[in-house]
Amino acid sequence: MILGRAVRIAARLRKKGGGSAVPGLVVNRFAPGFLGSVLSSFPEGLVVVTGSSGKSTTTKMLVTILEAHGKRVFTNPSTANISQGLTSALLERASLTGRIDADMAVLEMDEGHGALLSPQFEARLVLLTNVMTDQIDRFHDSEKVVGMLDTIARRATERLVLNGDDAMLDAMAADTHDTALARFGVTAEVFDSLPRGLGYAQTTPGRDSEGTLVSRVDGRSASIRWDGFDHDVTLPARGVHYAVDAAAAIAASRELLGDAFESTTAVDAVSSVRAVFGRGEVVTVRGKRIEFVLVQNPASFQLNVDELEEGLDQVMVAMGSDVADPSYFWPVDASRIGRARIVSGSKADEMALQLLYQHVQVDEIDADLPAALDRFIALPEPETGVKTIVFTADPMRRTRSHLGLAQ
Amino acid sequence: MSAILQLFPELTNVNGDAENALVLARRAQWVGIDAEPVPVPAGGGLPTESPVAVVLGSGVDSALEQTRDALLGIREALDEWIAAGIPILAVGTGFELLTASIELEGRVLDGLAVLPGRATPLETRAAGEVVVASTWGELIGYENHARGYRSEGAATLGAVQTGVGNGDGTEGVVSGSVFGTHLHGPILARNPSFAIAILTAAFGDDGDLYAKTRADGVAEAIRVAALRRARTV
Ligand SMILES: [Zn+2]
Repeated sequence: MILGRAVRIAARLRKKGGGSAVPGLVVNRFAPGFLGSVLSSFPEGLVVVTGSSGKSTTTKMLVTILEAHGKRVFTNPSTANISQGLTSALLERASLTGRIDADMAVLEMDEGHGALLSPQFEARLVLLTNVMTDQIDRFHDSEKVVGMLDTIARRATERLVLNGDDAMLDAMAADTHDTALARFGVTAEVFDSLPRGLGYAQTTPGRDSEGTLVSRVDGRSASIRWDGFDHDVTLPARGVHYAVDAAAAIAASRELLGDAFESTTAVDAVSSVRAVFGRGEVVTVRGKRIEFVLVQNPASFQLNVDELEEGLDQVMVAMGSDVADPSYFWPVDASRIGRARIVSGSKADEMALQLLYQHVQVDEIDADLPAALDRFIALPEPETGVKTIVFTADPMRRTRSHLGLAQ
Repeated sequence: MSAILQLFPELTNVNGDAENALVLARRAQWVGIDAEPVPVPAGGGLPTESPVAVVLGSGVDSALEQTRDALLGIREALDEWIAAGIPILAVGTGFELLTASIELEGRVLDGLAVLPGRATPLETRAAGEVVVASTWGELIGYENHARGYRSEGAATLGAVQTGVGNGDGTEGVVSGSVFGTHLHGPILARNPSFAIAILTAAFGDDGDLYAKTRADGVAEAIRVAALRRARTV
């Protein structure tokens, strides 16, 4: 433990331009038991949130609900969901004795690193969000992703909370788990109102009637049903996926809090959560209002495009080097964009090719993101709606830094 | 309306391969031909009219048998299309399922054997960019597959310049009007010359089909960049 502290102090000293992932890396190498011992030190246990998408929002909502119930919760920033970042986040907070002063920990883990770390922890509850097709891009096969999620899920001692609409998670849980299950999802009515479904790699044929279910979605307003009652919540941004995240967080908090769970407290807490940065965020830059829409995978691309206001006349689309192979975005029907004033980012041509085949008018293609941003912002106010930038993670980061916005 | 069939897109559009049907339809529309991509769900009925072209994409391994069984369900139509010279583009596992067999861990899955040869495991998974020297010029694209393709003397799409392809220095197969390839995603959008080859097979050698579109200018930029990357590795 002294080692971790020493590394942390050393890291502080040399931190000027350095990344905070460095001390984590060093500790993982020299004191591999550190992470495990800190993770087992929380008196009310550890909660792990993992899956393809929705991890950050779900984690944030769950933490907010638990805190509203008086719990002191340790959590990791969403950018620190991989092993080194996680160790660094823990180091920042750990005392000399290797403990963190909190009742419980709710950690968002990337499935790949979570599976690697799993021998080092036991979790009171594991929450599985979904399996999205995009993970094939990273891991080659969705079955591999399910295998990693299964490895993490097996660390659950009390509860496995999972998305009942996700057929791959459903099959995994049915096959291999004796841990008690709690499920969340959407009702049949909500499902039937979604023209393209939920975007999971595979969706179960039928809907659950038990569990914590999204029973209505209308813009940023939604209802979540549990124990036979519908509760109205406000979502951080438009979109059914945020409502599913809220249902997931409520399902997990019901399990964790038991009799102490208060419906009104939970509803208020969930409704207070703001969008995890990037998604649906509206900023004012150079006197112009701009909505940011982050697409991290084909499913979120489709859902976000479907949520765009009809007939927007000022949309910029940017795809960056974070998309290794743009092929997998092609199943997304982006035609609702209608007209893209500028397509930018290092994968601008690939994005533009898809848009052109989907009959989106593309005014201009310019891979130079800062130049494209300046021209886009300088355009006069739009006739319909607000200036909207749809981007993947890498151009989002570069956009924020170019516009001097907090990362 | 001319139908360009998208076979079982719910199983075979993992990398956007089924969208090659959209690419063909759009290119036809752009020169005034009334064509539409028509999705055919697994187990669903085929349209009564014969298609002008057929696209079969790639899926995950756990869907191989389901996809094969769906293909067996349209076996008769498939044989008719092939006999009539209707162009068929088969990508990834779709390509593999049209060969005689697919060698999986511990078992062999029978394919439809409308293509010669069979799919056999590669030593390591092939994932990354590919360049193939073909009759239609250099084809560029992405591959991500665990198996290669072996056949005795079948005609291939061409020689692999970058990447793995079939695993023996060649890529894909051409057998009559059936084209098989490991290059996934919108290969026909990225390689207009290949799209034109399929369109002329579908609609006849109509001069308009060769016209360069705005999308082709964009594809050219993508190709130039891909070839530059390939040459600097
Ligand atoms: Zn992930």
